[in-house]
Amino acid sequence: MKKKKMLLSTETMDVDFVRKVEALSGTSVRRCFQCGKCSAGCPMATFMEHPPNRVVRLLQLGQWQRILAGRSIWYCASCETCSTRCPNKVHLASIMDALRKLSWDAEGPSKESYVQLANRLFLQNIRTYGRQYEMRLAAVFNVKSGQFLKDLMLGPKLITKGKLKMFHQKNKNMTEIEKIFGRIEEMRRNGEAL
Amino acid sequence: MTSRNTLSYAYYPGCSLHASAGEYDLSTRELFRKLGIGLTEVPDWFCCGATPAHNVDELLSLSLCAKNMELAEKVGGDLAVACAACFSRLKTTQHVLSENDVKRKQVEKAIDAPVPMKGNVKHLLDILARDLGLDRLKQAVTKPLAGLKVACYYGCLLTRPTDVPNLDCVEAPTIMEDVLKAVGAETVAWSHRLECCGANFTLSRPGVVIQLSHAILDSAKEAGADCIMVACPLCHGNLDIRQEEIEGVYDTRYAMPVFYITQLVGLATGLGADKLGLDALIVNPMPLLKEKQLL
Ligand code: SF4
Ligand code: SF4
Repeated sequence: MKKKKMLLSTETMDVDFVRKVEALSGTSVRRCFQCGKCSAGCPMATFMEHPPNRVVRLLQLGQWQRILAGRSIWYCASCETCSTRCPNKVHLASIMDALRKLSWDAEGPSKESYVQLANRLFLQNIRTYGRQYEMRLAAVFNVKSGQFLKDLMLGPKLITKGKLKMFHQKNKNMTEIEKIFGRIEEMRRNGEAL
Repeated sequence: MTSRNTLSYAYYPGCSLHASAGEYDLSTRELFRKLGIGLTEVPDWFCCGATPAHNVDELLSLSLCAKNMELAEKVGGDLAVACAACFSRLKTTQHVLSENDVKRKQVEKAIDAPVPMKGNVKHLLDILARDLGLDRLKQAVTKPLAGLKVACYYGCLLTRPTDVPNLDCVEAPTIMEDVLKAVGAETVAWSHRLECCGANFTLSRPGVVIQLSHAILDSAKEAGADCIMVACPLCHGNLDIRQEEIEGVYDTRYAMPVFYITQLVGLATGLGADKLGLDALIVNPMPLLKEKQLL
């Protein structure tokens, strides 16, 4: 990305976006005073272009496009270390969730397609089977991501150990799960939920 | 002593325990039977959504967990959970729904039922250490794990975030060590017991998992541990299933068995290898257990 100067002005801030993040995450973006403790403990900070404290700062400055365009939010492991250690009770892990949700809704300008693909397949599995079907999850992921040979040696080993099941026990109550997905979609269409 | 036979729970195994972590399920059922604690599987439970659901859709995540709690209500009693990730999700849901009216109403609409809030969500460790109690656990030991040096690995989700799981102190928990000492094992002091293993990046970004899990294995070895004990199928996958791969990448050798908590405690209560699913572990634990005369 070309380096752009960050402008500090009310025009560049996006209060609406911050409000949405705050509503989704149930935490205050404004409370952060940039001590950096979250980033110091974050196991994934080295993989991110904007470590956690900078994600909050960019939000405060209305520069959320920069966050969504990058890979930081998709490299968060949801380990909750940041939220645990923040002296101001900024629940940063929930902010990360909210940002991923907003990026996801916009079909993600994010570059991190592998993580998104894995998430999508995981949720699809729940909708189709009610439970996770690990074998199918791994197989479809490898095909869709074009990594046919990935973990080739792991497969047979796991099957012999009974760790990857060839057949899957579907949940018997599938109409129930479909209804939950359907109702949530409807609530979002009607503007009753974010 | 009147409560001796009254411990009984609704049991939520979760998806992993019915697939890649079958030995965790098996050893949990066997151990609880041995200890006389009742477990009734929640009928028709659904996936809790794990990390991928709350990663991008909190409402879906809350609704899936609430639905499971509604199903658990039919069994009654507190909800016993083995997987640290399921535990964290179910517990977080209970917390959020009791604090946030807006979200509770949305979830009630999504599952078309009032949110059930009666039973507590409890991790197996909590049941062993507090409901049963360390003294009674000690009484059940027939084969103390003497001389076995264990690195207790909490990972991310057993104790975090602060205000939610409430299992133990978030930065300096001891519950795993307490349980293991009660069954006669030694526990080592090590630096990485609360560090993240890379969790669900195992599918999308295995490189991340290899780097983080390598640091954990290294730390356990440096502390002189014979083995690692976990309470999470994802941690187990990353440390046990990927161990050989990690050894290859870093040109090193650990041969460090990674046990589930119920396997080690089960061993101390005299359960055999077949009842604990020890043959499902990828890093073979038999040489270590024979050397320590535990099998
Ligand atoms: S720990 Fe909290 S206050 Fe400190 S930088 Fe991170 S979010 Fe801000
Ligand atoms: S939850 Fe995400 S941002 Fe927070 S410490 Fe863990 S990996 Fe880093």
